[in-house]
Amino acid sequence: MNDQNIIEISKVEKRFGTFTAVSDFSLDLKEGEFFSLLGPSGCGKTTALRMIAGFQDHDAGTICIGGQEMADIPANKRPTNMVFQSYAIFPHLNVGDNVAFGLRKLGLSRAEIKTRVADALDMVELGGLQSRKADELSGGQRQRVALARALVMRPKVLLLDEPLSALDKNLRETMQLEMRRLQQRLGITFVMVTHDQYEAMTMSDRIGVMFAGKLEQVDKPEVIYARPCNRQVASFIGGMNFLNARMTGDGGGRMDVDVQGFGALTIDVNPNVRIHGTDLLVGIRPEQLEIGADRPEGYDGYLQGTVSDVAFYGESVHYYVQAPGTDDPIAVAVPNYFHTVDHKRGDTVWLGVQNASIIDLGARESQK
Amino acid sequence: MAGFLKTEAGKGLALSAPASLYVGLLVAGPLGILVAYSFWTQTYVDIDKTLTWANYIEAASDPLVRHLMLRSIAIAGAVTLATVALAYPIAYFIAFRTQKKTLWLLLITIPFWSSYLLRVFSWKLILGFNGVMNSALLTTGVIDEPLTFLLYNEFAVVLTLAHAWAPFAILPIYVSLQKVDRALLEAATDLGCSKLERFLRVTLPLTIPGIIAASLIIFIPTVGDYVTPSLVGGSQGKMIANLIQVQFGPANNWPLGATLSLVAMASVGFVAILFVVTTTALGRRIR
Amino acid sequence: MKIVTRFPWLLVYAIAYLIFLYAPVLLLPLFSFNDGTIVAFPMKGFTLKWYAGLSGQETLLQAMVNSLIVGLVTATVATSLGLFAARAYVRYQFKGREVSEGLVMLPLVIPGIIVASSMLVLFLSMGLKPSLTTVILGHVFLALPFAVSIMKSAFDDFDQSLEEAAFDLGESVIGTFRRVTLPIVAPGIIASLLVTFTVSFDEFVLAFFLSGNQPTLPVYIWSQIRFPAKLPNTLALGSLLLLASVVLLLTAEYFRRRSTKSA
Repeated sequence: MNDQNIIEISKVEKRFGTFTAVSDFSLDLKEGEFFSLLGPSGCGKTTALRMIAGFQDHDAGTICIGGQEMADIPANKRPTNMVFQSYAIFPHLNVGDNVAFGLRKLGLSRAEIKTRVADALDMVELGGLQSRKADELSGGQRQRVALARALVMRPKVLLLDEPLSALDKNLRETMQLEMRRLQQRLGITFVMVTHDQYEAMTMSDRIGVMFAGKLEQVDKPEVIYARPCNRQVASFIGGMNFLNARMTGDGGGRMDVDVQGFGALTIDVNPNVRIHGTDLLVGIRPEQLEIGADRPEGYDGYLQGTVSDVAFYGESVHYYVQAPGTDDPIAVAVPNYFHTVDHKRGDTVWLGVQNASIIDLGARESQK
Repeated sequence: MAGFLKTEAGKGLALSAPASLYVGLLVAGPLGILVAYSFWTQTYVDIDKTLTWANYIEAASDPLVRHLMLRSIAIAGAVTLATVALAYPIAYFIAFRTQKKTLWLLLITIPFWSSYLLRVFSWKLILGFNGVMNSALLTTGVIDEPLTFLLYNEFAVVLTLAHAWAPFAILPIYVSLQKVDRALLEAATDLGCSKLERFLRVTLPLTIPGIIAASLIIFIPTVGDYVTPSLVGGSQGKMIANLIQVQFGPANNWPLGATLSLVAMASVGFVAILFVVTTTALGRRIR
Repeated sequence: MKIVTRFPWLLVYAIAYLIFLYAPVLLLPLFSFNDGTIVAFPMKGFTLKWYAGLSGQETLLQAMVNSLIVGLVTATVATSLGLFAARAYVRYQFKGREVSEGLVMLPLVIPGIIVASSMLVLFLSMGLKPSLTTVILGHVFLALPFAVSIMKSAFDDFDQSLEEAAFDLGESVIGTFRRVTLPIVAPGIIASLLVTFTVSFDEFVLAFFLSGNQPTLPVYIWSQIRFPAKLPNTLALGSLLLLASVVLLLTAEYFRRRSTKSA
């Protein structure tokens, strides 16, 4: 990765009739970056990707790739290539001809095409499968062919539209690591659209979270996890308990708050929050809460409540604790170290929390 | 047996048997009897049932038979080519360029539920010496004398049949175009193809099955068409079906008629297979 | 990106093509109102006498009755056969399914003259004289591919779990077919009846060979076409048939669409 911007998108807007699919979309991507657009279905992330590829025109704003304005450049002339959600493997061509499809346009010699196809297939670990027919490929192999077919064109930017959503869970996890490794080796900018938060977090250098056509937050995965800018982003990435709070005093990047159920605590001001206020919303990750039959030692805030539900997830156990002064039960995730479920429904338990685990999500009125 | 009828295979066979037996018998029966007749000979009043190759030798040596057979295949080939070539853009238009697909499909099929006989007859009225076309051109002053090259020749036969078989070309091609995954077209564009290249390298090869289906469904029956050459073909436009009809009708030589039918079927089959093989091979070469 | 409005060549072509398709068909009704015996421009004047002249022609009426009989029987038999076969093709996996499916489509691709002549020979050698019966036998053969494909698409859209639900609720095999399957595919059945009827009603070559001295309507028309004096009457008759066909077909289309939507 270097500091050169390969893509500069400024204030792009796209409407379909009266429906605004994407609005005020601005984004700069660095050369060699792995970027993910994350959001629920229908949030406009695929539309944004297709505007970069040139399959969709935009109504306002500018898209520059490699310093060149793309408005008048059709999809077939853009320095981008795409891995389609359905992979779009040409059924009438074999694997080799699929990968060679775009190369045949470039006026290369036969030998050159052959070498580049072979290299591309080796790269995705399909070496030697050139003459395999399209309908004889497994889902994972189709995904690899689609990847090789796009990468063999040596694009400045590779666009990936939900590239792993058609694969089963185990294969998906293998491919996540493999694609990440490939991207780092080639140093090509990848822009991936996904609705899977874990996929986005494991693969990306940066993530852009989209809701209703708007880019809500763009940052590194760990920052988005630790300091989401609002309730929507916080609830889309990882689990989160939301609690009301009141600010009682602030200064030096910290503030004193009175958190529903837990009482007085001192927390960090979240720099990503756009609208601050006195009536606050705060979040606590379930895995950052301590639970015990007795009051645990060394925490900054405590709460006593009743276990209302227990859910066993294998690697962890989730307890839902109903406490006086809170609306919804509070979720607590405990790693399953000792293969025991320590609390039953109806047990009275104590919860403990550190100041640092409380996430400031900004003014409460601005959130729905 | 009762046990078998309770299985999937048994139920399937039992339900489909009446239809397939009906068609099977009405294909095998007539075919068998044609084969038998083709080895017999017609005497003045009766059929001589001594087996002989005489009919086949006559069919092979008679220049008229060869001429009509070749002309039938040539005309049917021209009809197929013209119909498919004219139909492809329409099918493309309906599949890709309009939202009102069902309306267009309906518009295209409606004329073909009118009587085939009357449609062919209508072309005779259009193309005739005192016909609609000539009178219209004369009245508007485009020509001074009626055109005589319109009716009673191969051109009239090809035109009339290209009209008659239009929907049979449009529908299979439309279906195959409709099946083309739109993502494949985007992938081709993404890999650098212009619209024309994309059509030639992706759309066209993917619709070859539709083109083959359309061609066969037009070519095969057209070779044996009787009505059109009779009404608009004149003596120049006669085809093999006219000769077959003469054998079963006025000439009353059924063995020869049977032989001609079989020879016609075999020729059609041969040309059809040749066509499928070459077209498929050509399609494979597009990469 | 700029919005480029290109000249819609394909649309223009499509419209020109439609004119080519419709011109010969619309010619018949146009000249059937023409007050003259020659089909040529300029037209003479408006008249209904050719239509009036159709009534009271004994042979025409008899031919019409023949065609109706043949059409109704053909439609019923072909649709019943098609209904069962299509159900088997869509619902069951069995050995020979593909062969059977291909076989019932065969009548579409055998040249008409060969079907006609060979059936004539077969029926005569079986001692079956050309008559409406032989025409019906031939027409069922020709109409079957249409019946099977329409019924197949009707069953294709039929959710099998509906039948399983009926079974589960205690209905018998026959009861399920009558109370669940039949009502849902009924529009398909009607469409098939109408289409196969039309196929039979318009068929000429086979009827020409197999009808003997009981001509169907197309055979009658064929005999009239040769006489220029009868031309306007033939045009009037043709126009009426055209109208009837279009009405039947639009009805069939309506039911076919309902069958695909309801499932």
